[in-house]
Amino acid sequence: MSARRLWSITRRIIDGFRRDHRTLALIFIVPVAVTALLGWVLRDQQIAPTRVAIVDLDVAAGGRLASAISDAAMGAGLTVVDDGIVDQVTARAALADDRIDAALVVPSGFVADLLAGGSPRLRLITQGANAIAEGGHVAGLQRAVSRAILSLAPGGPRGEIGIERETVFGTPDADVLDVMAPVFIGYFAYFFVFVLTGISFLRERVGGTLERLLATPVTKPEIVLGYSLGFGIFATFEVVILIVFSLMRLEVPAIGPLPAFVVGLDVPTAGSPLLAFLIALLLALGAVNLGIFLSTFARTELQILQFIPIVIVPQGLLAGIFWPVETLPDVLQPIARLLPLTYAVDGLRDVMIRGYDLGAGSVQLDIAVLATIAAFFVALAAGTIRREVA
Amino acid sequence: MSGQTLPPAIETVALRKTFGPIHAVGGVDIALAPGRIYGLIGPNGSGKTTLIRLLVGLARATSGEARVLGTRMPSRPLLSRVGYMTQSDGIYPELSVWENLRFFAGLYGRADRARLLAALALVELDDRRGTPALELSGGMRRRLSLACALVHEPTVVFLDEPTVGIDPALRVQFWAHFRRLTGGGATLLVASHVMDEADRCDELLFIRDGRVLARGSADELRRRAGTDRLEDAFLHFAGVTGAAAAS
Repeated sequence: MSARRLWSITRRIIDGFRRDHRTLALIFIVPVAVTALLGWVLRDQQIAPTRVAIVDLDVAAGGRLASAISDAAMGAGLTVVDDGIVDQVTARAALADDRIDAALVVPSGFVADLLAGGSPRLRLITQGANAIAEGGHVAGLQRAVSRAILSLAPGGPRGEIGIERETVFGTPDADVLDVMAPVFIGYFAYFFVFVLTGISFLRERVGGTLERLLATPVTKPEIVLGYSLGFGIFATFEVVILIVFSLMRLEVPAIGPLPAFVVGLDVPTAGSPLLAFLIALLLALGAVNLGIFLSTFARTELQILQFIPIVIVPQGLLAGIFWPVETLPDVLQPIARLLPLTYAVDGLRDVMIRGYDLGAGSVQLDIAVLATIAAFFVALAAGTIRREVA
Repeated sequence: MSGQTLPPAIETVALRKTFGPIHAVGGVDIALAPGRIYGLIGPNGSGKTTLIRLLVGLARATSGEARVLGTRMPSRPLLSRVGYMTQSDGIYPELSVWENLRFFAGLYGRADRARLLAALALVELDDRRGTPALELSGGMRRRLSLACALVHEPTVVFLDEPTVGIDPALRVQFWAHFRRLTGGGATLLVASHVMDEADRCDELLFIRDGRVLARGSADELRRRAGTDRLEDAFLHFAGVTGAAAAS
C-alpha cells in the first residue's frame, strides 16, 4: 500500500467533484432543501379541526347524549356542523361532498340501553378515501364520545360501548395499501417513465444520433410525437402492469418445497380500471416529454438521476399522496396545484376509491388538467430540439 | 463534362460563425461546381466540422450565407438530397446493423429492402446484418455510418473524416464508390486531416483557423508552393516560415 498512490486516487475524486458543481450541489444543497421541505410540510400542516355532524336518532333520550358529545367535541377543539344533517342519508351526502369529515350516529334507544347496563353501539361514518387523514378524525371523536358518556353515566357504563365504523366509499376495514395503491400507481409510473426517457434522450443528444437525425428531413413534431408514441407504448405497458398487479389476486398453491403464495395486491377498485389507466397514462405522457426537456440540462446519465430529488421527490411530498393538499402550508398550496401528480392522485382516488366515472366534474377536471400539462411538456420538449444549434 | 457552366452545388458568401470570441468560420467564400470530389483539408480545430454543419443547416451562421444546390441553408426540405456522415458515428449502439440502416432510410421515406441490401453490400456489412452496432469494431461502425449517410442516394454528400479506422483495402473501395457517385452527378465534400487522402480529391480546400488558405488540385497546390509534399504545401500556405524549404 503506497500512501502516494492512495492519495492520488483520493485526490482524483476530490478534483472531479470540485469541477462538477452540480454534483456538489446534489451532495450539500439538495438534501438540505428536500429535508427542509419535508419539515415544512410536516410541521406547518394546517390541520383543520375535524368537522363532525351528530345524527341523533335517540328521540326518547331528548338529545341528552348528543348535546353531551357535542360539548365534549367542541371542548376538544372539534367543529360540530349542523348544516341540515338530520339522518344518515343527509350525513352520507355531506361526507361525499366533503362538507364534514365524520358523522356520528346515535341510534334510537341508545341512552336507555346504556343506563340499563347494556352494550349499545354508536355508528361512526367517514368518507373512506384517505385512511391516514381519517385516522386522526376518528381518534379525536372517540375521545369526545368517551368523555360524554362518562358525564352521562358517572363511574363509567357497566356494559361495553362499541363504535361501528362505516365509510361512504370503500370499506372501513380497507388497509393502508388499499387506499395508497391507486396513488402509487401514478407516482411510480411517473418516476420510471421520466428516468427512462430522460436517459434515453440524453444518449440521443450526447451520442451524436440527434445531430444525424436532424440532418434528415425529419420535423421537430415528428421527433417529439415519435418519441411520445414509442415511449408511450412502454408507458402503457408499465401502467397496465402496475394496475393489474395492484388489482389482481392470484393464489399460487404450494409446489414441492415452495410454500403457497399470492401474486398481486388484491386492492379493490370502486370505479373503472380503464379510467384509472387513462389518468395514469396521461400522467406518463407528460413524464415522457418532461424527460426530453430536462435531458437538455444534463450531460451524463448521472445528471439525469440528479433530477430525481428535484423533480420527483417534492412532487411526492406535495401532491397529496400522504397529506391532503388543503393541509399544506399556504405558500406551498399554489405550487402543489401546478404539479401534474396532484391531479393524477386526485383522479386516481376519485376513480378507484370513490368510484366516480367520467361524468363526475372532479374527474373531468383532473383529466383536462393532466392533458393540458402533457401538452405543455410536449411544447417544452419540442422547444429544446433545435436544428440550428447556437 | 465541364463544371464551369453549371451553377455551384455548394456555395458560401462571407460565411462566418463565431462562438463568443472564437471565429470558428471566419469569412469563407467558396463556390463548388457539381460532380466533383472536394477535400476539406486542415488540422483538428481548423473549422472543418463547423463549416460542414453550417452547410447542412445544423448551425446558423453569425453572418453570411451558406447555399446548397442553390437553396439557402438551413432548409429542411433540401435535406432529402443531402447526405451527412458525422465525425462521431451517429448510430444507435443497441440497434443491429440492419435496424440502424432501416431507421435512417425510413426518415427519408426510402426503406425498401433492395436499397438497404445494396447499401450494406457497398460497405461489406451484409454478413453482419443482425449484429448490434455495439459489438462492431470501430472500422465497421464507420462503414455502417457511411451506409446510413448514402442510403437515400443524396446529390450532395458531406463526409466528416469518413475513412478513420478503415483498413486500406476497403478505403480504396470507398474512394472508388465516391468516384462512381460523382459519375451520377453527385458532389462530395470530404473533410480530412490526412494528407494521403487529399490526392484522391479533384480539388482541395486548405483550411486553418476558420479561413480557406488555398484552393486547387493537389498538383497545382504543390506546384504553387514549390514543393512535392502536400504537407509542406499546406504549411507554405499557412505561412509557417521555413517549412517549404525542401523544394
